[in-house]
Amino acid sequence: MFFRILKKDLKRKKTMNVILLLFIILAAMFLSSSVDNLIAVNGAIDHFLEISKTPDFFTIALTEGKTDEIAEFLEDNENVSEYEIISTFNLINENVTITKCQEEPERTRYERTNTLCLEAVPENFMKVFQMDGSALSLKSGEIAFTKLEAEQNHLQVGDKVSIKIGELEREFTIAAVVKDAVFGSSMMGFKRLLVSEEDFAKFAEQEDLVHTQIYNVNYADEEKFKEQWQSRNFMVISTIEGKNTIRMCYVMDMLIAAILIIVSVCLILLAFLVLRFTIVFTLQEDYKEIGIMKAIGIKDMGIKGLYLIKYLGVSIAGAVIGFLLGFPFGKIILNQAIVNIVVDQAEQNFVINLVCAAAVVLIVLLFCYLSTNKLKKISAIEAIRNGSNGERYRVKNHLKLWKRTKMKPYFYIAVNDIMSSLRRFGILFVTFCLGTLLILLPLSATNTLKSDGIIGSFGLCPSDAYVDTGKGETYTVDMDLMFRDMEEIEEKLRENGMTAKTGADMGYMIPCYTDDPEDSVTYYILQAKGGWDRHYTLLSGNEPELSNEIMITEITAKELGVGIGDTIHFVTSGKTEEFIITGTYQSMMNMGQGYRVSSSARLDEKYAAGMLCLQVEIEGMESEEACEKLKEIFPEYKVMNVEGFLNIMIGGVIEQINTMMIFIVGIVLVINSLITILMMKTIMTKERGDIALLKSIGFTDHSLRAWQISRTLLVLAAAVITGTLLSNVLAPYTIGPIFAMMGATSIELKTNTMEACVLFPLLLFAVTGVSASICAGGVKKVDLKEVNNIE
Amino acid sequence: MESLKIRDLCKTYIINKRQNNVLKNVNMEIKEGEMVAVMGPSGSGKSTLLYTVSGMDHITAGRVDFFGKDLSSLNAKQMSDLRLDEMGFIFQQMYMLKNLSIYDNIILPAYQSKRGKGRENRKEINDRAKELMHKLGISEIAEHDINEVSGGQLQRACICRSLINNPKMIFADEPTGALNQQNSKEVMKELNRINREGTTVMLVTHDMKVAAKSDRVLYIEDGNIKGEFTLGKYTGKEETRERERKISNWLMEMGF
Repeated sequence: MFFRILKKDLKRKKTMNVILLLFIILAAMFLSSSVDNLIAVNGAIDHFLEISKTPDFFTIALTEGKTDEIAEFLEDNENVSEYEIISTFNLINENVTITKCQEEPERTRYERTNTLCLEAVPENFMKVFQMDGSALSLKSGEIAFTKLEAEQNHLQVGDKVSIKIGELEREFTIAAVVKDAVFGSSMMGFKRLLVSEEDFAKFAEQEDLVHTQIYNVNYADEEKFKEQWQSRNFMVISTIEGKNTIRMCYVMDMLIAAILIIVSVCLILLAFLVLRFTIVFTLQEDYKEIGIMKAIGIKDMGIKGLYLIKYLGVSIAGAVIGFLLGFPFGKIILNQAIVNIVVDQAEQNFVINLVCAAAVVLIVLLFCYLSTNKLKKISAIEAIRNGSNGERYRVKNHLKLWKRTKMKPYFYIAVNDIMSSLRRFGILFVTFCLGTLLILLPLSATNTLKSDGIIGSFGLCPSDAYVDTGKGETYTVDMDLMFRDMEEIEEKLRENGMTAKTGADMGYMIPCYTDDPEDSVTYYILQAKGGWDRHYTLLSGNEPELSNEIMITEITAKELGVGIGDTIHFVTSGKTEEFIITGTYQSMMNMGQGYRVSSSARLDEKYAAGMLCLQVEIEGMESEEACEKLKEIFPEYKVMNVEGFLNIMIGGVIEQINTMMIFIVGIVLVINSLITILMMKTIMTKERGDIALLKSIGFTDHSLRAWQISRTLLVLAAAVITGTLLSNVLAPYTIGPIFAMMGATSIELKTNTMEACVLFPLLLFAVTGVSASICAGGVKKVDLKEVNNIE
Repeated sequence: MESLKIRDLCKTYIINKRQNNVLKNVNMEIKEGEMVAVMGPSGSGKSTLLYTVSGMDHITAGRVDFFGKDLSSLNAKQMSDLRLDEMGFIFQQMYMLKNLSIYDNIILPAYQSKRGKGRENRKEINDRAKELMHKLGISEIAEHDINEVSGGQLQRACICRSLINNPKMIFADEPTGALNQQNSKEVMKELNRINREGTTVMLVTHDMKVAAKSDRVLYIEDGNIKGEFTLGKYTGKEETRERERKISNWLMEMGF
């Protein structure tokens, strides 16, 4: 008898049981994949740095055949547990030629975005990995690119590039695109191309070549080593101390990981909400039958057992399917979001997914047990009288139809339904609201990064155009060449009837200290060269004007414990110069560290270490027009507008966030559609009587569809408005700190109203509306006669 | 003029691949202003007849003319408009939307109809609803929820709803089936009053007392109208027992 009731139930309530199964599948899939991804993302960067063997400390320096002082310093140093010197060759644009590019066949010029070096595949420190996470090994004639470099030049595996160093030129086939833990992040200003040991040795055989050396060090005694290192004042290009700095370079990936965590938490939350809703809903459907079973003498435990067995069966079936679907679903999410990091995801997957699937079964049974517990409290007759769903109807309608003089009746019923069953529609609301937040928060980040004023947050002055002559490295050793090039640009523009001014920001690596010369550290100091009267966005004080004035970023001021009026000492060529701090600013370069001296300051040119693009300002011309003109006159130069220049500065981060945005929007739309369809199906199953009644009193199918659709869209509208308001409140606490970590301590987050308030809401409305209308088509199938079968 | 003219009406259901002919070549007419009761044993096709002639269910063959309109020639939209403006339905189950008050349930069809647009029209509807509720003696439950009223009150509210658009004809399926004697009496009193005011009524019942208050009784068996018995207009003053006895005798003759 027991199983006959069960069998009949499964057969008769096919729709509800299928919906229950689908919700359990979704819950199991969301839960297992999300928990999996949470574990994978948490500590992903540490894992990546560990498997790549990132050193505790490394420095980059040039050697021109002279004695390697740093190598001597490291040799037999008791404070060093392990060290290695990697030899590389610095590459400028002319060193690399693209000989075959499948994506853009006409492309031959290589466009590097940062300092680029060639080195042999590392085997000890700073290892790189293929995109699937496997180790890299290259044969002779093969070359590997980091993902960002390959993307920047539209290169892919199979393409060919030619590398010329000294007198030797060789052609290589791209064998792999790799993930580089130390130099692969978009924030790192040093990139490398990798060839086999054998090929690298052939280049290195040439005499009188300048090597760029990377010195990797693991400490034996960190403090003592640092003291020793600072006291020696080596001439280096860059020094990175500790994994923390590298970790900070992955701030953008962490932003993506953080968003992935939010997505996962949302999905888990959704899974629980959906489960509770489905179980309570399906059990309510059976209320009257429960009453009848009680009336004929079946004990509470027997009834409870019946439902527990039913839910156990359905939940096991759903959990197994959800468990299996969780693998590909989780992998899709993770791979789409985390592209630059090798994530350790293979090992725990199976066990975690299994535990999550089992948890879903247990949760279903728990909800079922708690819901059926109410059985004890009610008598048989109460259950029967309360009808099919066990609800006691109170006066719930908060709106009065007769007071609505203009409202369409179907719209009124929709509004009234929502207000009468806030809990039921709350799940839809929460789903839609979370989706809106998931879209708008990253959108705020991209909008801010794309905004006109963002250049000021890099501590730079905006200009009409940015020109990369490809001679940045040469300018650091021959500054006159830079001034000649600037004059040439101005001259040629004048010949073409334009009045222009040019300028540049030159970077110097100069040892500095505040109080104790023993504590001197090498800083990257910027100075404006040539050009016009440039101004910067300050947070406090004034710009440096005199030759002994300097402004520093707020982060630097905090680190050094100094403020306006204090002094910073530069140590150049054995002499000490004093600079008075006149103001503070913010910069997203170098993780917020920044120093800028006035253009009248006299710095030793031999400390020049890097240069950004030449800046051009043409009188009476908008940026786009100026860029076009410059491209026409100087086809050999790379000309960019602010956005293009920023892309170089933050290495495709905007594109990465854009890609992630598309992915998140996709996920949100799919989830919105799924939940809409399932919720509407569930609610419509219960409302068949109402639909039949409304049909019988003359409501057309069109009005009934409009009722069902408008109800969903009303919830969506409320959720989008709430989500938009919440995103404005939450953005400073979620996106703001990420910008602060990058150095923009007081950034004004921007929102593109068109995108946030029109484009994305419209997209949500369109997709949810389509799903709702597909589902609402079901009203046609409801037979009018069902009005007489209503309990 | 006939309110309803039915010719060779057939209705067949296919259940578990088996053909079930519920109505077989039914022919009948109901005149405007008439009140007709359909009686018959369970499963004889009473309710199916009501649903097919009111356009709530599709017919398999034959023709149904409602005030001269061939129902099978109307599309879904026209059928909905007809149900909204010219027909009224009363069901045994007294079903109403749970989230709406009694009053809002009553005015809902009127607000949905074409004449329900505009402030002035809606004012008129509200006046009519109040008048109807007053007539049926349920003014005091207007803002009540549907579980806060008795079965009789709820059925009278359903009658108000069915009348709100001034329908030409009321179709009632066992309107007193779920009510006690007192409530049944009150509901039938209202139906008689509506009928006297000119609305045609077709009702399905198994209750002799209900049938006794109609003008004519049709007896249906195995999907066919086996006979009809004309009682004449019920004035309300007449002794109903006599009418009941006549029907009872007639039904016994018909083998009921």
